[in-house]
Amino acid sequence: MLSSSLPLKAATDPPPRGISPEKVADYLHAIVEADRKVYTTQIVKRMQEQGVVLAREDWESKNAIPLPAQFLHYSSKIVAESGSGIRFRLISLWPIYLRNGPATEFERKALEQLNANPDVPQREIVSTGKKQFFQAVYADQAISSSCITCHNSHPLSPKRDFKMGDVMGGVVITIPLED
Amino acid sequence: MEAAKVSTKSEKRKKGLTRKLVLSMLLVGALPLVIGLLLAFFQGTQEIREVSGTSFEALATETARKLDLVVADELSRTALLAINTHIIQLLETRRDALSEVKKNALAPLLQQENEAWTNKDSDLLSKISEGPIVQELLRHVGGTYLDAGFPVPVITRSTTRSLYLTDSAGRLVASLDDKAPYLNAGENWWKGAFHNGVGQPYIGPIQFDAQYQTYTFTLALPIMDSLRYEAIGVLRRIYDAKEFFAPSIDIIRFGKTGHVMLIDSRGVVLSCPILPTGTSLSDHTLIPLVTPMHPGWTPAPGDGHGGQATSIIGFAPLSNTSRITQSSNELSWHMFVWQSSEELFGPIQHFFKWTAAFGLLGVGLLVTLGYLAAHRIAAPIRQLQEAARRIGHGEFQEPILLSTGDEIEELAEEVNRMNQQLASQFAGLESQVELKTQEVKYLQESTTQILDSVPDPVIMIGPQEQIEYLNQASKEALVPNNGKVAGTSLFQLFQLDPPTQEKLRREIRLVQSSVLTTPTDAKPDQPIKKLHDPLSPTSLDHSGGDRRELRLNQRTYRYRWFAIPAPPGKEPGIGLVLRDITEESLLQDQLIQGEKMASLGVLSAGIGHELNNPLVGVIGLGEAIQDETDPEHIKEYARGIVQHGKRMASVVRDFTGQVGKQFSEAKTLVNINEQLERTLTAVQAVFPSSPVEVNTRLAPLPPLPAKSFELGQAFTNVITNAFQAMKDGGTLEIATAVLNNEIHITIRDTGKGIEPIHLPKVFDPFFTTKGQGEGSGLGLTVAHRIVTKLGGQIRLDSEKNHGTVCLIILPITSNKPMEHKEA
Repeated sequence: MLSSSLPLKAATDPPPRGISPEKVADYLHAIVEADRKVYTTQIVKRMQEQGVVLAREDWESKNAIPLPAQFLHYSSKIVAESGSGIRFRLISLWPIYLRNGPATEFERKALEQLNANPDVPQREIVSTGKKQFFQAVYADQAISSSCITCHNSHPLSPKRDFKMGDVMGGVVITIPLED
Repeated sequence: MEAAKVSTKSEKRKKGLTRKLVLSMLLVGALPLVIGLLLAFFQGTQEIREVSGTSFEALATETARKLDLVVADELSRTALLAINTHIIQLLETRRDALSEVKKNALAPLLQQENEAWTNKDSDLLSKISEGPIVQELLRHVGGTYLDAGFPVPVITRSTTRSLYLTDSAGRLVASLDDKAPYLNAGENWWKGAFHNGVGQPYIGPIQFDAQYQTYTFTLALPIMDSLRYEAIGVLRRIYDAKEFFAPSIDIIRFGKTGHVMLIDSRGVVLSCPILPTGTSLSDHTLIPLVTPMHPGWTPAPGDGHGGQATSIIGFAPLSNTSRITQSSNELSWHMFVWQSSEELFGPIQHFFKWTAAFGLLGVGLLVTLGYLAAHRIAAPIRQLQEAARRIGHGEFQEPILLSTGDEIEELAEEVNRMNQQLASQFAGLESQVELKTQEVKYLQESTTQILDSVPDPVIMIGPQEQIEYLNQASKEALVPNNGKVAGTSLFQLFQLDPPTQEKLRREIRLVQSSVLTTPTDAKPDQPIKKLHDPLSPTSLDHSGGDRRELRLNQRTYRYRWFAIPAPPGKEPGIGLVLRDITEESLLQDQLIQGEKMASLGVLSAGIGHELNNPLVGVIGLGEAIQDETDPEHIKEYARGIVQHGKRMASVVRDFTGQVGKQFSEAKTLVNINEQLERTLTAVQAVFPSSPVEVNTRLAPLPPLPAKSFELGQAFTNVITNAFQAMKDGGTLEIATAVLNNEIHITIRDTGKGIEPIHLPKVFDPFFTTKGQGEGSGLGLTVAHRIVTKLGGQIRLDSEKNHGTVCLIILPITSNKPMEHKEA
C-alpha cells in the first residue's frame, strides 16, 4: 500500500534499499511489547509477589511503582518528546480514561478486527489535514492476572469481565510519511 | 546561750512529728494527685493531639480527593472543547496553512497580525470574537446555550474569567473577549500545553491578574490533530482561583476555627476561608512539614495563620492535580486542615484548670485535717516523751492515763509497767546501796584504824606520786606540826638527795608495772607476792649494799613498796611501808661489837691458858737453871725453855692470825674444811684438858665467797657449845658434804642436849642455859645471822642427855636465788 509512494521516489533517484513502514512498525512493536512484557512479568509481578513494592495507579503519592499500562504511556510520551516523529499509544474500546479511546474511525475498526483476530495487525495510511501517516495497530492481550483484576475492578472501567488472554486493546504505532 | 539553743532544738523536735505526719499525708495524698493530674493532662493532650491529627489527616485526604475530582472534572469537561471536530479541522487547516508560509516570512506576518489586533482591527476582531468557534466556546462556558448532554455547572461558568484558543504558532484563533493577547507562543502556559507538539495538560500557578483584578490560575489544554498525533493548538482557560475553590473549601468548617485550606508547595494560599487568596504562609518552616507527597499530620510550632501556639495540622496532596502541576511548573497542591490550639486543647485545659483548683482545695483540706490528725497523734506521744524524760531523771510520777485505743495506749501502759518495775527495783536497790555504803564506810574506818594503830608509817600514793593517805604513825613521824600533805608529791614530804629520789622513782615504776623484784644481790627471800604483806616479820634485813633503807629526819627507815589494786579504769596506787630501825640497827651494831669482844675474851682466855702452861714451864726451868750448876742440866733446861718459847710463839702467831682477820671486811673465797679445822684447833686450845674425842669426816668442798672471820665465828660458837655440853666427855663429829648444790655442815655432839622447851629459843639473843661467865647468850644468834646472811640456814636438833646436832646449809652459788627450804 505504501509502495505507491515509494516508486515515485525511485523514478527520480536510484532506488535505495529501504525498509517498508510495515516492517518498521513490526520492529517497533516487538520492542515496545518486549519492554512492557519484561516490566510486567519480570519486575512488577516479582516485586509484588515478594512484597517489595506494589504497582498502583497513584504510585507517586503511595510509594509504589507505575502500572504496566502507565509504563507504556510514559515511554510513549518520552518517545514523542524525543522529536523523532514516531509515536505509539495504547488504546482500547473499553478505556478507563476517555483519552485512551480510539481517536479515529480506523482505530475503532482496527480494534474490532483485532478483537476477532488478534494475530493480524491492522495497517492503514491515514491523514490529518495535509499530513499523511502510516498506522499499524497490534492486539494487546491480557498477559498478567494483574491486568485483568485491575481493569475488572477499576471504578471507571466500562468492561469488567476480562479473562486471561483476552484482547484488551491495541498498540497504535504512527509513522509520519513525509519527505 | 547553750540552754536557749537546746530549748529551741527540742521545740523544733516537738514540732517535727506533726510536721512529718502532715508532710507524709501530703506526700501520700497530694503527690499522687498532682502526678496523676499532670499525667492525665499530658496523656489527654497527647491523645487529643493523636485523635485530632488522624482526623485532620483524614479530612485533608478526603478534601484533597474531592478537589482532585473537581479539577479532573473541570479538565475533562474542558477537554470536550479540545476534541471538538470543528475546532480540530480549523486548527488543522491553520497548521497546514502555516506550513506553506516560508520561514523568514512568518515573523513579519505574526507581527503584522498582532499590530492589527492591538489596534482593534475590526476584521480581525470580528474574525476572532465571532463565528462558529466562538459560539462553541460560548456554548461551553454557558453564556446562552447549554448542551443538553453536558450541563455545565454554574460554578464553572461564573468562575471562568477568560477562554480562548490559539493555533500551533500561538496566534489567537478565537476568544470570548478582546482582552486576550494575540501572540502566545512565548507564554509559559502555551509552551507547557503545546509541549513541542506532543501536547499535555497544563495547570498554571496562582498569580495576580491585573486585567481581572483578582488571583487567577490557568488551565491550558493542547488541541491534538484528528489522529492525536500532534498538538495543533492550545485552549486556555483562566479561572478566578478563589471563586473556583471556595465552594468546595469554604463550606468545610468545624468548631469555631477549624477549616481546610488549599495551598501550593510554595506556601501560597489558593483558597482559605480565613486568609485571602494569594498570601503566603507566614511561617516558612511550616511549609516543608505540610507539603510532602503523602497525607499525614504533624504538630507544628506555628499554625500557618500567624499564631505561635503549637497546633495540629493535617495535610494531604491533591495527587492527580499535582501530577499535572508538577509537570507544568514543578509545584504541587496540598490540602491543609487546621484548628486553633486554643480550641483544640481548650477543653482539656479547662478540665485541667478545674481539676487543679479542686486539687488545691483538696490539698488545703488535707493539710488542715492532716494537721489536726497529726496533732491528735503527736499529743499523747509528747505526753509519753515527757513521762519518759521524768523517769529518766529519776522522778517517779503518777501513771500516764491515755485512752487513744491504739498502740500509743499500749505504749503508755508499757511505760507505766516499766515505771512501776523501776520504782520497786530502785527501792530495793537503795537499801542495798545504803547497806553497802555503810559496809564500805565501816571497812574504811576499820582499815584506817588498823593502819593508824600500826606503829610503822604507811603511806599511799597515787600514780603521779601524790600522797593520798598517811596513817597516824607516818603523820607523827614525818609531818611536822600536823601540816597538810594530802595531794602533795611524795618527794615534797621526803627531803632526799637526787640519786635516792631517782632510785625510789625507779622502784615505783617497777611496782606500777607489777614486776618489782628485790635487788639481785639482796637476800632473795621474798617473792613478789609477799610484797602485799608489808608487816611480814621476816622483813628484818641487814644485808649490805643495796638495802632498802632510807635516812629521813635523822632516822633510819627500812621500807617496802606494795601495789594497791585500783578500781576498774583507774591506775593502781602504790603503798609504802616504813619501819624505823634506828634503834634496832644501833642495838645490832652494839650487839655484834659486844659479841666480838666476848669471843675475843674467850679467845684470849684460851690463849692465856695456852700460854700459861709453857710459861709455867719456862719459869720452872728458869728457876732450875738458877740453882743448877751442872752445865749439862742447864743446857737441857735451856732447850726446854726454847721448846716452850717456840710453843708460845706459835700460839701467839695463831692468835694474831685470827685477830688480824677479824676486822677485815672483804669477802674472800673460803675453804670451809680448812676454816672448820682452824676453828676446831682454836677451840680445842680453849678446852685443853677436855676428854672429848673428835671425829672429822670432811668431803672435798668448793670454795665459798664469804668473810672467813665471820664464818669462823659462827663455827666457833657452835663448836664451843658442843665442847661446853660435853664437859664429862663425849664424841664430837664434824662432817661436810655437798648435796643439791649446797654445802651441808653437820656438827654433832653427844653432850647433855637441850631441853625441848628451850629449843625454839636457842637463836634468840641473850638466851642461854649456861652458867655465869660461860656464855653471853649471843653465840647462836650471831651464828644464825651470819649463816642467813650468806643465804644459808642453820638448824638445831637435840635430845635431852643424848646430844645435839647442828646442821648448817650454805648455798654454793650465793649469786643465785635460793630455794628456801623450811625445816
